[in-house]
Amino acid sequence: MTTPGGSWNTDADGSGEPTRTPGYRAWISGLVELAQQAFRRLTVSAARTPGRLSMIAAGLVTLTLLVGLVSTVMAQGKKDAVDGLLEHREPVTAEAQRVYSALSDAEATAAAALLAEESETERLRERYEDSIAQAGASLAKASASAQDVPAAAEQVDIIGQQLPVYTGLVETARANDRQGFPVGASYLQEASELMRSAILPAAEELYELETDRLAEQQRDARSVPVFTALLALGLVAALLATQRYLRRRTNRVLNPGLVVATVAVLVGLLWTSVALVVHGVQVGSGQRDGTEQADRLVSTRIVALQARADQTMSLVARGDGDRHTEGFSKLSRQLGGSDGAGGLLGEVREQAAGGPAEELVNEAIENSESWRRADERIREHSDEGDYGAAVELAISGDDEGAAQAFHALDDNLSQAIAEGRQDFVDSTTTASRALHALPQGLAVLSVVAALGITVGVGERLREYR
Amino acid sequence: MTPGAERHARGHLRHRLIALLPVLGLAMAACVPAGEPRELSGQVVAERPQPAGVGGAPPEEGGEAVDDDCDATASLEPDGTEIPEGSTMAKIRDRGHLVAGVDQNTFLFGFHNPATGQLEGFDIDIAREIAGAVLGDRDRVRFHTITSAERIPALREGDVDIVVRTMTVNCARRENIEFSSVYFEAGQRVLVPKASDVTGLDDLAGQRVCAAEGSTSLRNIAEAAPEPVSVPNWSDCLVMLQQRQVEAVSTDDTILAGMAEQDPTTEVVGEPFTEEPYAIGIPPGDEDMVRYVNAVLEDVRDDRWDELYDRWIEPVLGGASPPEARYR
Repeated sequence: MTTPGGSWNTDADGSGEPTRTPGYRAWISGLVELAQQAFRRLTVSAARTPGRLSMIAAGLVTLTLLVGLVSTVMAQGKKDAVDGLLEHREPVTAEAQRVYSALSDAEATAAAALLAEESETERLRERYEDSIAQAGASLAKASASAQDVPAAAEQVDIIGQQLPVYTGLVETARANDRQGFPVGASYLQEASELMRSAILPAAEELYELETDRLAEQQRDARSVPVFTALLALGLVAALLATQRYLRRRTNRVLNPGLVVATVAVLVGLLWTSVALVVHGVQVGSGQRDGTEQADRLVSTRIVALQARADQTMSLVARGDGDRHTEGFSKLSRQLGGSDGAGGLLGEVREQAAGGPAEELVNEAIENSESWRRADERIREHSDEGDYGAAVELAISGDDEGAAQAFHALDDNLSQAIAEGRQDFVDSTTTASRALHALPQGLAVLSVVAALGITVGVGERLREYR
Repeated sequence: MTPGAERHARGHLRHRLIALLPVLGLAMAACVPAGEPRELSGQVVAERPQPAGVGGAPPEEGGEAVDDDCDATASLEPDGTEIPEGSTMAKIRDRGHLVAGVDQNTFLFGFHNPATGQLEGFDIDIAREIAGAVLGDRDRVRFHTITSAERIPALREGDVDIVVRTMTVNCARRENIEFSSVYFEAGQRVLVPKASDVTGLDDLAGQRVCAAEGSTSLRNIAEAAPEPVSVPNWSDCLVMLQQRQVEAVSTDDTILAGMAEQDPTTEVVGEPFTEEPYAIGIPPGDEDMVRYVNAVLEDVRDDRWDELYDRWIEPVLGGASPPEARYR
């Protein structure tokens, strides 16, 4: 097989000497000549109206299809991003949050279960076990997503390694306690120390990393597609310029094909703008009233849980409980400020004002006040050395007790968190619906516009034949 | 060979060559080193948890040698169990309850019984005896649980009326607070796992030995060869021994007996190498209270002491009789 002027194969006689070089050069020069010819032909034809028209048409069609492709991909990307928020990112963040709060809850409950009398122990024990099971299951879900971020993966490692150790210590504490051995309380204090110094900081870090990722993805979803917008505006300008050119050349005011194309592009532009504005506003509202509010509520709830852990641990660590007593008063100031309605709860109330969680937060503030009053009485009993009464007040479920107030506070905050998440889902779903059929619509519109250009310019071209 | 056959043979050869290709590929794959298996988590080594507030050797007490020249165990003469108006005892009686600083973590002496929710033990019962004398009711006592290190501050700040918490009388402490007469004689020994060859503190040179911070035992360990490890409560020492983070616990045999009771794989070994006379700590200046408590202790020695000892200590440490009271 040979090509003119040379050969790509070795010679048939098998001498082995390839004659490629001259053939290669000829081929290149042939190609250059072809390009030169085409350019000459183009400049010649561009100098004449029909040639120029077909070039304009080709350019416009290319630009239209390009805009169609870019905007369709952009719209699909936006839709995928917002659906990704709903389907993946927010649920994963919620799992990380659950790890954090379930662990805090486990710590608060383990101490209470050790202190409680036999009848109460069963219920508290169940709550502790549920919290540990929840933490384990949520950690497994959160860890899959955490693997993309080394810092998050590291936190999952810490929790994964230390949580079994923690539960082991709690069980050792329980086994000793059931035999009446005081070493049980020491094991529980060791467990609590492990939880506070290693596990909870890791869970907090993991939750914060996931929250940041969620916020970042929400920002991304809201961002304005500047490149696509400029491209589309450029297309509109090109279409208008072409029509002005044609009007001058042909003295006809309207070219139906180009008008159809322009309308199709403008419809696409308008639709996209409206859809993206609605989408952006809704994603923003889901972020502000949904996830950010839930995030603040989660921080509040976890402070409450840790204060509860300090409250119960101060009774377990009798004689050595000052650390925990101080911890409680510090956390409770953080929770409610100096007057019980400030601090984190005050911030949350401000944020929830007028929203569905308002009432829940107001109730939570009341609960926190009565919890604080109950703690003052626990301290009084404890300072007077009336240990039995202090435990009774801290653990038992009667109306004046700390347990009742704390559990009501915790329930109200949990419900408010659920409201925040619901708000996110509602707004973000609306955002997703605003983009419904937009990618497909943009694709169809761009094809319509391209056809309009082809037909419109084609008509004019026919007049020259 | 006919041309057909030749072509056939060549085709055969080509097939064979083609069949060889994968073999060649495999051979190449075998020659190029494949690298190590990818490890996602690497080798993980367990980190052992330890109790909060683990420390080392005790701080030097005031920088000067402990003054052992005083007659530490000699207390003030008892002066009967009458309660004069305006006395410390009268204030306690008017308040309606005695406040006693006690331990809740030392099995057999002062511990929290989870079954009853009450504090129990030898020290607790001694405190109840005092309350019974002052207030006529052994239950009119409020227990303030404190750590070893908090005993003297609690007395000096007036948080408690008495401290009954395995507290050894010594001259250094006597400079800060008052002591009653001795109500129990203990001695420092060593608790080790039964599998251990250790027979006393001398075998523990360079090894980690646990004691509560602020205790005399910790200083005794620091003076002997072992490396001291301090913890807030005695129970934390048992935790560290069970977790094999210390080789032994060394303190008063009474406390060690309580630990051995909680863990049957451990035992108390060696002869007592210190004398630890326990007395009730009383705030400085409350001399009337010292005399009163000594009078109550006289009665206890004659009457209830054996009963309390038999109930709490005898099953572990064997029989003993109440220590002689000494007065200056």
